[in-house]
Amino acid sequence: MTHDELTIANPKMKAEGVDVFYGAKQAINNVSIDVGTDLVTAFIGPSGCGKSTFLRSLNRMNDTLASARVTGKITLEGEDIYAPSMDVVQLRARVGMVFQKPNPFPKSVYDNVAYGPRIHGLAAGKADLDLIVERALVRAGLWDEVKDRLGESGTALSGGQQQRLCIARAIAVNPEVILMDEPCSALDPIATAKIEDLIHELRGKYAIVIVTHNMQQAARVSQRTAFFHLGTLVEYGKTADIFTNPKQDRTKDYITGRYG
Amino acid sequence: MTFNAPALLFVIVGLALIGWLAGRARSALLAARAGVKLHSRPQYHGWYVALWLFAPAALFLALWSSVSPALVTSAVLETPAAQGLPEFGFERGAILSDARSTAAGRQAAVRLPAAAPLVEPYRQAAQRYGAIGIGAMLALALAGGLYGYSRVGPGLRARSRVERIVMAMLLLASLVAILTTFGIVMSLLFESIRFFRLVSPAELLFGTHWNPQSGAPQPGTFGGIPLFWGTVLIGAIIAMIVAIPIGMMTAVYLTQYAAPRVRRWVKPCLEVLAGVPTVVYGYFAALTVAPALREFAAMLGVPNASSESALAAGIVMGVMIIPFISSMADDSINAVPQAMRDGSLALGATPNETIREVLIPAALPGVMGGILLAVSRAIGETMIVVMAAGLSANLTANPFASVTTVTAQIVKLLTGDQEFNSAKTLAAFALGLVLFLVTLLLNIAALRIVKKYREAYE
Amino acid sequence: MNRQTAPTDWKAPAMQRRIAARYAAERRFKAMGLGAVLLSALFLAFLLTVMVGNGARGFTYTHVAVPIDFTATPLPVEPSRLGDPDADQLIANAGLAEIVALAADEALGENGSALISDNAWKDVRRAIKDDPALLRAKSVFELPASSLVDIAAKEGAAGALGARVDALTREGKLARHIHWSFFRNADATDPALAGIWGALKGSVLTIIIAFLIAFPTGVLAALYLEEYAPKNRWSDLIEVSINNLAAVPSIIFGLLALAVFINWFGLCQASPLVGGLTLALMTMPVIVIASRNAIKAVPPSIRDAALGVGASPVQVVFHHVLPLALPGILTGTIIGMARALGETAPLLLIGMRAFIGDVPGGICSPSTVLPMQIFLWSDEVDRGFVEKTSAAIIVLLIVLLSMNALAIYLRNKFEKRW
Ligand SMILES: Nc1ncnc2c1ncn2[C@@H]1O[C@H](COP(=O)(O)OP(=O)(O)OP(=O)(O)O)[C@@H](O)[C@H]1O
Ligand SMILES: [Mg+2]
Repeated sequence: MTHDELTIANPKMKAEGVDVFYGAKQAINNVSIDVGTDLVTAFIGPSGCGKSTFLRSLNRMNDTLASARVTGKITLEGEDIYAPSMDVVQLRARVGMVFQKPNPFPKSVYDNVAYGPRIHGLAAGKADLDLIVERALVRAGLWDEVKDRLGESGTALSGGQQQRLCIARAIAVNPEVILMDEPCSALDPIATAKIEDLIHELRGKYAIVIVTHNMQQAARVSQRTAFFHLGTLVEYGKTADIFTNPKQDRTKDYITGRYG
Repeated sequence: MTFNAPALLFVIVGLALIGWLAGRARSALLAARAGVKLHSRPQYHGWYVALWLFAPAALFLALWSSVSPALVTSAVLETPAAQGLPEFGFERGAILSDARSTAAGRQAAVRLPAAAPLVEPYRQAAQRYGAIGIGAMLALALAGGLYGYSRVGPGLRARSRVERIVMAMLLLASLVAILTTFGIVMSLLFESIRFFRLVSPAELLFGTHWNPQSGAPQPGTFGGIPLFWGTVLIGAIIAMIVAIPIGMMTAVYLTQYAAPRVRRWVKPCLEVLAGVPTVVYGYFAALTVAPALREFAAMLGVPNASSESALAAGIVMGVMIIPFISSMADDSINAVPQAMRDGSLALGATPNETIREVLIPAALPGVMGGILLAVSRAIGETMIVVMAAGLSANLTANPFASVTTVTAQIVKLLTGDQEFNSAKTLAAFALGLVLFLVTLLLNIAALRIVKKYREAYE
Repeated sequence: MNRQTAPTDWKAPAMQRRIAARYAAERRFKAMGLGAVLLSALFLAFLLTVMVGNGARGFTYTHVAVPIDFTATPLPVEPSRLGDPDADQLIANAGLAEIVALAADEALGENGSALISDNAWKDVRRAIKDDPALLRAKSVFELPASSLVDIAAKEGAAGALGARVDALTREGKLARHIHWSFFRNADATDPALAGIWGALKGSVLTIIIAFLIAFPTGVLAALYLEEYAPKNRWSDLIEVSINNLAAVPSIIFGLLALAVFINWFGLCQASPLVGGLTLALMTMPVIVIASRNAIKAVPPSIRDAALGVGASPVQVVFHHVLPLALPGILTGTIIGMARALGETAPLLLIGMRAFIGDVPGGICSPSTVLPMQIFLWSDEVDRGFVEKTSAAIIVLLIVLLSMNALAIYLRNKFEKRW
């Protein structure tokens, strides 16, 4: 697999030769990949292959683990995100993240969404903040369900609503990239369908990277798919190609359910 | 024959060992005989015999050693030699104990001449009751042991019997807690009711003048408000102003910022701080902190600055509480799921924003529970206030003045030389009752909150 | 909905300033945290330095060299009777105190006997009893100085006394020795004589009683609650009692002991027995809670395995669960006992604050405990007691710290994660 096959015309983020270590243990081995600006990119692969690890290195969430160490180069719009001049606070505001388990703060729905804009000073005033919150909730497809209960605790919502609240929370900071780590794994099929619709809606406005164990989901929501195995990137390409015509045997075995 | 409880305990333990061996040997013999099938293994038969031998005798021993001193003393008081004793008080007690020690051979000769005629009656009474006790105990042990031994046989379900006794012991042990609580409530209530017959509860709870005198209770001298205020000022206000910020910040630093190595060193340090006895804190407050504060107050020109000040006691008490708060806060912050912290950091929040806006609010119930427990501990703390806060019941908000607290007054009321039934002594129990009820409420509320909080994140 | 959705301009100067301010706040916050930790550590260090600084001197005492010539002023006592049980009384009656005072006057000049402790002759008595040959010779005794001289020698003093002490020092008649009486004696009104042995022994007796009662009861109660108790109102009540008792102010236990043990049962006042009982009630809940946690940490699989091979529930607990939980239980017990050992308030109420000049003989004889001795000395007007108080504190802290260190060691050594 040559590097050319992986390149994309206008990449939002670009990883080159990335290794990630937990202490002495290597979890990611020499991964290079481009994340397209208007595209949804899906990461698939068997459990423990390093998808989350790699995703977390894209917004430096690995910094919060004392044992984790990242080498190689990752850029956002050409800027090296691991360069000393890069400010993590800004980076994480530009590269938002949604986690596997919904993790709303124990605050009201409104405060959950307003949290990011408040700390970054994105709103010009109370009215502006209201607007940002409303827009984020509308975009996350949650507005109609919560517009009358903005003061209620975010933890009182259903699991699917909580996950959309977390997406709204990420959107409210006006990010350029949204990273989603198995956002639907804790949800039922209806809630999952809603999130998938939401990803369709958001596509084009944000670069989206989604980790999923669900092949159909990857096929439904993404335009690009990357298959990871044992810490390496085995195959990366158009989703349609990966699922209909994988070049690597390991990829074929995985998507046809031979292992994983 | 003198009654020496530890030695006697030794004796019956020895007897029980013999019983154990005998029971085991007998059942082993039975088991070896053809056609006899025992229900339990021989050692359980041994235990069965040993328990029958030990338990009644030990129970008797405990009972006898707690009542026999009183019996001996009353027997001595019946003798003609005791008629010349003073009626009451310290002197009488001193003479009796002098005679007792001499009779028991703990000292070569009496110190108080008045005790001399009592030595011989003491010796005789002690010997008489000692002999009775030892005889009865040995008889009980023998009877129990023989009974148990005679029961050993194929039909005896020795293991179930022994296990049932073990279970009963476990249950009894856990009842001790209830018994203690019951004992506390009853003794406080009982004496308080007697106090409230002399002084109305309203006066104790709402009166503003505290100056108990010996003798018949004077109206208007048992007003508890100054004590309650002093307690609140020192324990709930000054101590908490010191302890909450420092304790919280310590917990935050240790859980969120400190390297594991620092944590490994600082935590034992905090444990040391928590393990320093309160009398040491009290001495430190009185010796170092209080004089320094008085100088400081004099420099500021504060009137009524006293060398025993609410501030000195409160600050030192706050320091004593720091490890307590920090460990409670540490636990609560650690109980907040990591996902919450990640969620905030992933939005681009700095660690301090994450801590202040997400972690602490999420940990708040647990922290609040810890603070309630800390307040409960602070208002029940005795030595620091006895040594550093003083005993004058002032109703003042001036932290440099001397105030007194409920606990300090309990100590003061009970360590004078007066008979047990005076209004002053009874007042101590009434104060104790108030203190107990308040801390009980605080503890129950705190335990509830903490439990709810734990469940929320489990 | 007409707000622009253009990307945030992170490079704008206002935004950059804002971020700089946020980082500054972060640094301030972190510094505050560090400050809090340092403050606690500083306080601990300060407390320890003050105590050690004051107390270290309390372990030594100034002694005065006084030659006594028993050939010139014989002590009218038969040397053969020095082994008798009432030898102390005999020697005292024979007027040893006067002989020593005379010798001091002679050796140290005018009013010399005021420079040595009033009780210095007791040291001479001890020496004579050890070696009766002294009675037939002239020998130099190192006698404890009076409290004032001791302080003057250690801290310096102004006026006549200071000058006198300086002179004696120059003549080489003053020397500082380890203060053995401090470790050998019970309380006394004279700092030259006061020691901690009585209180230490009282503490040991008290703690042994407390341990003998609280440990078995606490462990058995914990076993019951954790392994057998049915979930009903009774066990809830027990649970609430225990949790609450662990947080009841210690002085309340003193009230309980006063009302029940002393006034009702008539047990011996101010004795290690009653003190131990009181502290046992106080520490039992702590032991129960620690034991329950240790028992909880034993994985259920071990119980299932033992039950599976046909052990009865009692056997499972005593053969398998208890041994595995024991390190945790012991850790909790040691910490509880250390707390009891430092406890003063409840013992104040059962009479242990009385002046006890004897080393306690048994569990029923009046005695005091180490923290109480500290409290009593802290109240003494004689300045010689200041350093005695701190010295006693050092002893207490050393005992408590070693107990805590032992507990931490046990915890680290045996801490298992299943
Ligand atoms: N904090 C950590 N410390 C040490 N090793 C870790 C840590 N987190 C993950 N690992 C290891 O790194 C490897 C990759 O883990 P990662 O969580 O990235 O896998 P994943 O592909 O996301 O799996 P899943 O699909 O189950 O979420 C695994 O072997 C895992 O054990
Ligand atoms: Mg993962």
